[in-house]
Amino acid sequence: MLDRDADIVIIGSGAGGGTVASELAPLCRDGARIVVLEAGPKLRDAEFTGREVEMARRLYIDDGGVLTEDRAMTLALGRAYGGSTVVYTGTSLTITEPTLDRWGVPGLTHGDVLRRSQKYLAANNVHLLAEEDLNDNNRLFVDGCRALGYRVEQFPLNLKGCTGSSVCNLGCPSGAKMGTHRVQLPEAERQGVTVVTNCAVDRIENHAVVATVSERSYGEMSAWAPGEYRIGARAVVVSAGAVGSPALMLRSQLPAALPALGRYFTCHPALILVAQHDRPITNYAGHPKSFYCDHFADSDGFLLETCMYFPFTTAKSLTGFGAEHSRLMGAMDRLQMILVLAIDPPERDNRVLVDREGRTVVRYRFADLVKRSLVLAMRASARVFFAAGAARIHAPASPKFFIEASEADRVDELIPHDGLVLGKVAIASAHPMGGCRMGSSPADSVTDSWGQVHGVPWLFVADASLFPRCAEINPYVTIMALADRVAEGVRRQLPELRALSS
Amino acid sequence: MLRLLAARLVPESAQFSCAGHDEMLALIDQALSDRPAAMQRQFSLFLRVLRWAPVARYGRTLDHLAPEQQDSVLRWFQDFPAQLIRSGFWGVRTLVMMSYYARPEVGASIGYRPSADGNAVLHARSRR
Repeated sequence: MLDRDADIVIIGSGAGGGTVASELAPLCRDGARIVVLEAGPKLRDAEFTGREVEMARRLYIDDGGVLTEDRAMTLALGRAYGGSTVVYTGTSLTITEPTLDRWGVPGLTHGDVLRRSQKYLAANNVHLLAEEDLNDNNRLFVDGCRALGYRVEQFPLNLKGCTGSSVCNLGCPSGAKMGTHRVQLPEAERQGVTVVTNCAVDRIENHAVVATVSERSYGEMSAWAPGEYRIGARAVVVSAGAVGSPALMLRSQLPAALPALGRYFTCHPALILVAQHDRPITNYAGHPKSFYCDHFADSDGFLLETCMYFPFTTAKSLTGFGAEHSRLMGAMDRLQMILVLAIDPPERDNRVLVDREGRTVVRYRFADLVKRSLVLAMRASARVFFAAGAARIHAPASPKFFIEASEADRVDELIPHDGLVLGKVAIASAHPMGGCRMGSSPADSVTDSWGQVHGVPWLFVADASLFPRCAEINPYVTIMALADRVAEGVRRQLPELRALSS
Repeated sequence: MLRLLAARLVPESAQFSCAGHDEMLALIDQALSDRPAAMQRQFSLFLRVLRWAPVARYGRTLDHLAPEQQDSVLRWFQDFPAQLIRSGFWGVRTLVMMSYYARPEVGASIGYRPSADGNAVLHARSRR
C-alpha cells in the first residue's frame, strides 16, 4: 500500500465535495495539502457523445440503475469528476423558508442558507432561459398548467453557452452546464488542490482514508498511478452522496456510536408520464427541463417538472410491452413528457446499510402517503397534457395503456390508486437525501449543523446526506450552500485539528 | 429465450438479422457483466422460470406457445401477486428494451433526432 499525506481529504467531487474543495483551496497558498478523491472518471470533452447507454455506463453507478433492496425503485447516482453535477439538468432552486423550518436544525437559519445559495447562483451563471430557447415540450406544459389554473414557474438554470442539445442527463456535449466540473473544481485545482479521479474509497480510518486508484479505458489519466493508497489527513470531508457517504461511514467502524447513520433516507421518488400529440413537436431540441409546477406541493405532496428522456429510458419507464408500447415509442417526435416527484417524509427505517460483504444496500419502503401523492400527481399530469391538446396519454398506473383525449373527464377513474403496483410501475429517483442528517443529538442525527460528525471531530460530511428531511425542490443549490458552510467550519477548526492529529 | 422475449416485448426486434440479435445479446451481456454474480445467476434463473412456468397451465414451455399465449404469460408475470416476481420480470423487460432502444439507428427510426445545436432548430422554427 502506498502512503500519502494531506491536511484535508475530500471524498467526492460533486455539488458537496467540489464546493468544499473550492472554498478551502485558498489554504493551499499557506501550504495546506488538499486532495479530492473521486471514484469516477474525468471525461475529455469529445467523450461526451450523448449516446444513452455509453454515457450511462461512464457517468453513473450501475449505469444509472442502482436498485433498492426490494427492487421497486432505481436510483440515478452520478459518478464523475463533478459527481452528479455532470448529469443533472442544472435546475437551480433555493430552498424555501418553510422547508428549512421543517428541517428544524438548531443553528441553521434560512438567512444563512439563502446567503450562501445566492453566492453559487452567481458563480454558476444561473438565469432564466430566453423565450426563444423554450421548446414545445416546455411550452405545452405551461399552456396546460395555466389553462387549469395551476401555478407554474420557470426553472433558473446554471448554463453558459447552452446550444440546446437536450441531453443534459447524459453529460453536456457542449460543456455549457456550470456544474462543479466546470466551475469549482478547475478553480480549486488552479489554486493547488489535487483531484484524483478513478479513486474509490474503501474505508475511513483514524485520521486516514484507504482508497484504490484504478485504470479506465476512457477519460483522462488519474493524477495518481493505479494502486492502493493510505492517505493520512488532519480532516476528512465525506461528500460521496446520500447513498455513498453513509455506506462508507458504516463500512469504516467509526470511533463513535451513531445510531442514526444511514437512516431517514429520502429521495423524491419519481416517475414519468408521456403524452402523444397529433403533430410533431419540438421536444429533443432545446433545454429539456425549463418549468415546474409546485401547485400541489403543500396540499398533496408532489411536484411536476418538464422532462424529455432518451429512447431506452422512455421505453423502460412505460408500463407494458408489445404493439401498444411500440406504437407510442414510434412517435418520439410527438411526445410530451412530465416527471412527477413525491415529497417523501423522513422515515427512520428508510435507510442505507451495508451487507455482510460490505456492499451498499438501500432499504426504502413506500409510505402510503407517497404512493397517494404519485397517483394524484399522475392524474394532475394527465389533466395538464389534455389541457395542452394531447391526443392520448400513457400513465404508468392506469390499467389502460392509452387514455384517449375523449376520456379526459375520466382521469380519476382511469388512474386508480391501486394501479400503482410496485415492481410493475417504473419508479426512479435522482434526488437521494439524508442518511447523515444534521441535528443536535447523536441519538437522531449524525452531524451538527456544521456537518461535523458527532464524537469524531476530524470527520465532516458535506452533501445531500446532511438533509434531515427532503428538500422539496431540486437539491443541488442547497447542497452547495451547506457544503460552503461545512467548509467554513473546517477552515475555522483546522489549526485545532492539526494539533489533534499530531 | 431472450430472442423470443425480445420479439414479444419489442415486436420490431423480430426484423433484426442474426447479427442484430447478436448485438442485442451482447448489450445485455455487457450490462449484466457489471452486476454482482448473484444478480447474474438470478437473471438466468428467471429466464428459466419464464420458460417453464407455462407448462403448468398450457402443458408447453413458453417457446412452444402461440404468440397470444406468450403475451398472456408475460402479462401474468408483469402483474404477479408477489413483488419479487414482478420486479424480476421488470428487470428482464428493461434489459431487452435497453438492447433494442439504445441502438442509435433505432433512435432515428422512431423520431428521436436530437441535435447538438437544438437551439438553432428552435430559432429557425420560430422564424418561420
